[in-house]
Amino acid sequence: MANIAAQRIKREFKEVIKSEEVAKCAIKVELVSDSYTELKGEIAGPPDTPYEGGNFVLEIKVPETYPFNPPKVRFLTKIWHPNISSVTGAICLDILKDQWAAAMTLRTVLLSLQALLSAAEPDDPQDAVVAKQYKDAPDMFRLTARYWTAAYAGGPYSNPDFDSKIRRLTDMGIESHDARVALSSFNWDLERATEQLFS
Amino acid sequence: MMGFDVGRFQGNVDEELICPICSQVLEHPVQAPKCEHAFCLTCIMEWLSHQPTCPVDRIGISSSELQPVPRILKNLLARLVIACDYAGTGCQAMVKLESLQSHVQDCEHNPQKPVSCEQGCGLVIPKDNVKDHNCVKELRSLIQNQQQKFQEFQEEVVEQRLTINELKRELNYLKEFVRAVRSSHPTMRAIADQFEKDEVRRWASTLPKAKVSRWGAMISTPDEVLQSMIRRSLSESGCPPHIMEELMENCHETQWPAGLSSLQTRQRQRREYDSYVCRRIPGKQAVLALACDNQHMSEELMVEPGIVMIFALGIE
Ligand SMILES: [Zn+2]
Ligand SMILES: [Zn+2]
Ligand SMILES: [Zn+2]
Ligand SMILES: [Zn+2]
Repeated sequence: MANIAAQRIKREFKEVIKSEEVAKCAIKVELVSDSYTELKGEIAGPPDTPYEGGNFVLEIKVPETYPFNPPKVRFLTKIWHPNISSVTGAICLDILKDQWAAAMTLRTVLLSLQALLSAAEPDDPQDAVVAKQYKDAPDMFRLTARYWTAAYAGGPYSNPDFDSKIRRLTDMGIESHDARVALSSFNWDLERATEQLFS
Repeated sequence: MMGFDVGRFQGNVDEELICPICSQVLEHPVQAPKCEHAFCLTCIMEWLSHQPTCPVDRIGISSSELQPVPRILKNLLARLVIACDYAGTGCQAMVKLESLQSHVQDCEHNPQKPVSCEQGCGLVIPKDNVKDHNCVKELRSLIQNQQQKFQEFQEEVVEQRLTINELKRELNYLKEFVRAVRSSHPTMRAIADQFEKDEVRRWASTLPKAKVSRWGAMISTPDEVLQSMIRRSLSESGCPPHIMEELMENCHETQWPAGLSSLQTRQRQRREYDSYVCRRIPGKQAVLALACDNQHMSEELMVEPGIVMIFALGIE
């Protein structure tokens, strides 16, 4: 790894660890390899959002050319959000692409992602299905996102109606994640989800 | 390339002295024009090759707009105390950042420290080469290098000579052409004469006025060596070629006007000399009295296009 990248990451790693957000348990970062090329980040779902109460784990890969190019970040925790792929965890956020600036740090990246959870940008979607639901059926979107937060990120929410619909599909031999994806994508319409799963 | 490792400094380093790109202490700092954010030169150049913006606030900038940082920032950096580059190999020195470079060059722990060979060749070599150093081999390769350079120069000279010959032919052709044009029509002749006069005036105005304090030190029969030195100096000062030959002829008493042509006449005219307007021939104990500067002088004391006077001393 280039000297400048390693030096920067070492310093930024310390910066996150010492930050007040860590004290409030809002963000966290851990080393995955001792070469500082790969890290694991964690952000808490912001209050008053469907992600509240959840902890979201991020994969952070630091390129050789850091900080002249942004780190590569994706969600490892499954999440229902217009700007994050529900399949791969890929993120659509300008500062991780062409709006990156060399003075940004791990801390600013984690805080920006947290801000993204508070304020989605449905006009610049990473997941078209989620973005459509966000615009056309906002209440349904909120319920679904909160349900995913509970299922994958340890959130406190429960929804017996959604649970029973998933159970109907798992009883037919469908994996529970696939069932959740299909139902979420069709606004929890059991009939259309079933149709899609078996077509 | 990047800034200096923060860990090498004595005490805490102020945040303002840290480069936001490499997160090290600024090295060769420059700043963005409007927002005045400072960066190491190499860091910001690398960033600008990715994106033409300030890395802190993304205000648009280009490398040509980068400015030196204010003196106060430079002073703060210069006063920081840093460990030597060779602290890892035993140097204990802590020096001011401004003198780091000179310390490192001379540091006993610098394996590249330049030392001169004491086995005979006297070449300056990096310290870590002394063990494997072989005077004969080094000198031989030096000679080889110089021979190669010499050969290159020779080839270049041949090239230049060819070019000069071409230019000479072209120049001769042009001269012939101008002569033909000049003689073809009186107006043309007048224009050409005026042109040459203006050229002499323009050149004269670039030469500083000079004062002769010892007229008695005039050399009336300069030898060839002296003459060629004066000619070279005139040529370097931009003397128009059409008067060069005549001027140089007028540096010897045989060509001087009646009032100067012999010791007796010179002594008789002594009092008139201070009326000459003289110009210094650069770098030489010699002056020019040009006809265009000296129209007030009598014909006894002036000839076209002017007189070159060489002295043993006494030119100011
Ligand atoms: Zn720097
Ligand atoms: Zn700036
Ligand atoms: Zn030293
Ligand atoms: Zn030697």
